Amino acid sequence: MTVHKRRIVGNRLPRIDATSKVTGAIVYGADYARNGMIHGAILRSPHPHARIRNIDAREALAAPGVFCVVTAADIPSERFGSFVKDIDVFAKEVVRYKGHPVAAVGARTREEAEAALPLIRVEYEELPVVATVEEAMADDARLVHEEWESYEANATLVRRGNIANHTRLTVGDADAAFAGAWRVFEHSFRTNLQHPGYTEPRAAVAEWDQDRLTVWSSTQTPFEQQSTLAAIFRIPASNVRVSVPAIGGAFGGKLRIGVEHVAAALARKARRPAKVMLTLEEEIATGYCRQPAHIRLKLGVDRDLRIVAKAGRMLVDCGAMSGSGVGVASSGLLMLAGPYVIPNLAIEGFAVYTNKAPTGSFRAPSGPQGNFACESQMDMVARELGVDPLEFRLKNIVRDGDKGPTGQEMGTVSVEECLLKAAEAIGWDKPVVEPGRGRGIACGWWTMTGQSSNVFVKVNPDGRVVVNSGCAEIGSGAITGAMQVLAEELGVDLEDITVVNADTASTPFDFGAQGSRTASMVGNACADAVRNLAAKAFPVAAQIMGVTADSCSFGYKAIVSGNQSVPLAQVAASLQSGAGGLIAEGSYIQPGTPFDKDRTSGMVIPVVNSPSYHAHAVDLTVDEETGEVTINKYVVAQDVGFAINPTYIEGQIEGGVIQAIGQTMYEEIVWENGEVRNGNLTDYKMPTAEDAPEVVSILVERAGLTGPYGAKGVGEPPVIEPPATLANAVHDASGVRVTDLPITPEKIALGRVRGN
Amino acid sequence: MKTEIVTLRINGHQEDVLVRQGQSLLSVLRDTLGMTGTKINCREAECGVCSVEMDGRVVNSCLVDARMAQGSDIVTIEGVQEAEGLDILQQCFVRHGAVQCGYCIPGMIMAARGLLRENPRPTREEIRQGLSGVLCRCTGYQKIVDAVEDAAGTLVQTREGAI
Repeated sequence: MTVHKRRIVGNRLPRIDATSKVTGAIVYGADYARNGMIHGAILRSPHPHARIRNIDAREALAAPGVFCVVTAADIPSERFGSFVKDIDVFAKEVVRYKGHPVAAVGARTREEAEAALPLIRVEYEELPVVATVEEAMADDARLVHEEWESYEANATLVRRGNIANHTRLTVGDADAAFAGAWRVFEHSFRTNLQHPGYTEPRAAVAEWDQDRLTVWSSTQTPFEQQSTLAAIFRIPASNVRVSVPAIGGAFGGKLRIGVEHVAAALARKARRPAKVMLTLEEEIATGYCRQPAHIRLKLGVDRDLRIVAKAGRMLVDCGAMSGSGVGVASSGLLMLAGPYVIPNLAIEGFAVYTNKAPTGSFRAPSGPQGNFACESQMDMVARELGVDPLEFRLKNIVRDGDKGPTGQEMGTVSVEECLLKAAEAIGWDKPVVEPGRGRGIACGWWTMTGQSSNVFVKVNPDGRVVVNSGCAEIGSGAITGAMQVLAEELGVDLEDITVVNADTASTPFDFGAQGSRTASMVGNACADAVRNLAAKAFPVAAQIMGVTADSCSFGYKAIVSGNQSVPLAQVAASLQSGAGGLIAEGSYIQPGTPFDKDRTSGMVIPVVNSPSYHAHAVDLTVDEETGEVTINKYVVAQDVGFAINPTYIEGQIEGGVIQAIGQTMYEEIVWENGEVRNGNLTDYKMPTAEDAPEVVSILVERAGLTGPYGAKGVGEPPVIEPPATLANAVHDASGVRVTDLPITPEKIALGRVRGN
Repeated sequence: MKTEIVTLRINGHQEDVLVRQGQSLLSVLRDTLGMTGTKINCREAECGVCSVEMDGRVVNSCLVDARMAQGSDIVTIEGVQEAEGLDILQQCFVRHGAVQCGYCIPGMIMAARGLLRENPRPTREEIRQGLSGVLCRCTGYQKIVDAVEDAAGTLVQTREGAI
């Protein structure tokens, strides 16, 4: 790839969808409508665990405006799921969490559908509840899924009873290393259940034409929805079209199917288009949230302050369906190990079923949980040893040429640079003088999801460009970033490009808007398409100019050779009339990262792919009496490889930090005995503009090996370090160490009283 | 179901709409009139994405009973754009990268208009207070505050320039 021209990439250009978003013209999934559409509402289980004895929908069917009622009897298939097929569209015999869908009503209006819900008579026989991971892990535990053994599952998983995956990361001999260590430390941590908090509720519209299904939904993964819907309704995948209107935020919460199958079931039965949109109460109680984790970590160091061994255990509370929890128990081990060189590791994870709502793949799944434990412990150990926490980190961090926890070769490592830049910006070496004021620092790494992205690129006879990409724009601006790569390589302006995206009928396959991959993977596919466009366009241009094709290159809206040029539009027009058009496909497939399989068991995410590195630092004040925290300055130094569009990268950092401050300081969905205690926005508080501090972003550019121009994954990392960074600073400021999230003023004040 | 006809003035156009008992102004805009620029989320006035102007005041349209809006002047995001293009606030949101998923942006822009009418020279702190009724989960608000600050400065300059 050429790197000398930087006309478009690296520039702060406005995103391609900005204008249609500020005018309200763009249509989101929640806005989508079809003629004659009915509206659905979901009847959910009032019990955390119960057997369904009988469902009688006769009265509901007679209610005003009602078209149909659907239950498990209307779904042709059994169960589905990404790693374990343990999910049903509607509970068949057993409800496994309060909120488990039992039936749905389709009616003229949403209000009529809701009014008919209580008219469906369901007889339940209540069963004992598995409310916590401790209960689920007990030897005599009641099973959340009695038939777990019969479920189809990914072959890497290690399953048993309520444990959907038991993972292990083993390097060297940790026991022997602890025995020979100078000092050994043990700590425990707990993290909280956080909702992604997107402002657009999950919504889908479904429509059937005989055995052909079309679904419009704000999903991050239309191709996954396509195959899932095909399996649920037992029809060929080619009969399912999934089209993605604009997405009103997702953060991983719209990866897995959520409402699409219910809309499709209603539309099928009513023979009318049907829309399902969740209420906020449904969102909080049943959204695909971040798994809470219970973590124990043991760290051994030698007299030179080098880490000689780390051992630990992570219990991941998946809720009633395993979902992404089996992956969190995998990548979580890499996060617990952290970006450090540690010769002996013995870390295990358990993805555990409980009778609570299923969880999901919220932005950097496992990142905040694992990093909170790892980086809080680094701080606690450094302080116990009386050394500077920054120095202790610098002594042990991974550098170029080191091996990762599972044996992967580490290259383009920048954690030292990130730490030093964050420390400098926060004034780490200057003494803190004010009482109640303190600083904290934490570092980490994150993986980028790879797989494949594909595009079709067409240059129209007017020289403008249309791109078909199977990847949705979830809001981050990553599609704009990918189009900046295309514009740069092809020599056009960003405004010349129109994107048709995320429609399984008209766009090529894409692995989806997830895992910090979009800008890099779609960008790489675009660069590949430009090479293929060149192969078609250069011979034509060469003929017009009377030169050889291999002397041609793309200039600004032209093909150039020496001091001659021919407009791109002219070549496209010529190819349209003579050879069917200037159109090419582009593909990118991320190569796998080699690792040592002997070190892992059950780990479905065994490596940190195309790693990014980051360090956060904060300066804050804790009110001596109330425990209230005021953030004075928050700094992020993040290695983005190459900043394709600094504005939107800063946007990811600013937004991610505030979202993670939410997790750290305010947000927790509280389940007690199988019920949510705070299912509304008054009791579940997300940061407002008044709560949010300003964030200083330092973009480190250590070119990586995969993304365009060396770009690394950007979107997920900013939520990883805030919990540990803030916990470390709160301790520095107040002397109180909080090891269970969220860090509320009450916990700080209480800790002070108890002399923590 | 009881219905009645309600007359509203929406973005300068008179609309006579058949309103169901208990139907919100938000539902009239989105479901009856198909004006989906105004967004729906919490339906309990906590998130602010449904903000519109009603007789010059910013309200959460999800909690306004449509019958109580009889005769009111309503401005929605669709009425903000000027004949010659984006208005200053919209331009500043675009220029400062204040838009990510964009779902809260109609509500943010309506809230910002209300704020700047009442306080044409707000500090960053006052902007944050003025926008605190609208939740955004993408941006962390920083670039939104930048945009509103820039718009305020430009509007004050334009006004002073005109005098």
